Amino acid sequence: MTDYVIVTGASKGLGLAICQQAAAQGYGIIALARSCSEQLSSLQQTYPERVHYYAADLADLNNLSVLCKTLIKQHGRPYALINNAAAGHDGVLATMPNSAIEHLMQLNIQAPILLSKYLVRSMMLNRKGRIINISSIIAKTGFNGLSVYAASKAALEGFTKSLAREVGKAGITVNCVAPGYMQTDMTSSLQGDKLDSIKRRSPLGQLATVNDAANMVIYLLSEQAGSITGATMTVDAGSTA
Amino acid sequence: MNLEQKIKQAMQEVAELGDCQLVEPIQPNTLLLESGLDSLGYAMLVAQLEEDLGIDPFTELAIEIYPSTFAEFLAIYQQCLNTQ
Repeated sequence: MTDYVIVTGASKGLGLAICQQAAAQGYGIIALARSCSEQLSSLQQTYPERVHYYAADLADLNNLSVLCKTLIKQHGRPYALINNAAAGHDGVLATMPNSAIEHLMQLNIQAPILLSKYLVRSMMLNRKGRIINISSIIAKTGFNGLSVYAASKAALEGFTKSLAREVGKAGITVNCVAPGYMQTDMTSSLQGDKLDSIKRRSPLGQLATVNDAANMVIYLLSEQAGSITGATMTVDAGSTA
Repeated sequence: MNLEQKIKQAMQEVAELGDCQLVEPIQPNTLLLESGLDSLGYAMLVAQLEEDLGIDPFTELAIEIYPSTFAEFLAIYQQCLNTQ
């Protein structure tokens, strides 16, 4: 049976790139997103046996247990979970609506914790597995207007280290990938001088792309990465060097 | 096979998977923490039973205090199956 990988936030940006690369590598894909994009549909058409899409709003925390149960029933025990879905509401904290803070924390940290909880159990029975959490360099560097987002990503990195210690004995690795600024829908508001200044500060004079970050995810999924756990792998074209 | 036997069989399976040695025999008043399964093994037992029985009583009944003895553990599974 093909090892399958559950990817959240799979319809666009980094999530989509991960699905594209993982499907090309031969993994089965369970793509979770609120709605299916044209590119994800086209990926399904390319690999009809391998790529499956499920509509899910992960901020709806009470449904996550049933969702995981359904996926395991349909597809068997997963090999990997990639917690990629995230919201990136920006704005100064002092005027951020409480509902936006709550939504961001539910989607960015509570949902990954609960999905990991429900899916790591099956990985334990398999005595192998991978959990890859998509963090951000902002967890460590900070960024004006992204305090809540940064808090959620720093929480994800702390969660990763402790869970890695908890499940290592069962042959499961847990890691973070921390991309720098990538040109995705989430960073589309970053334009002009700000964008130029980020590019200038990078030793490579460019931004990392979603494919660069997806390459790292694919590596962490592989057997070759079996001895890497509890780590945060930065993919930022050297911006934080 | 009754529920008690199914749970004991699952305990045996996860003990082998997790390289743990179960105490013999498992009695109703055997403390789960002293049954030979470590905390990871105990999590695996809940996962194995979810696959075997299709239920996770701790999630479904929102149980916040985990049972300490084998009899309490069995009773929770029985209660969950009865409410299905």
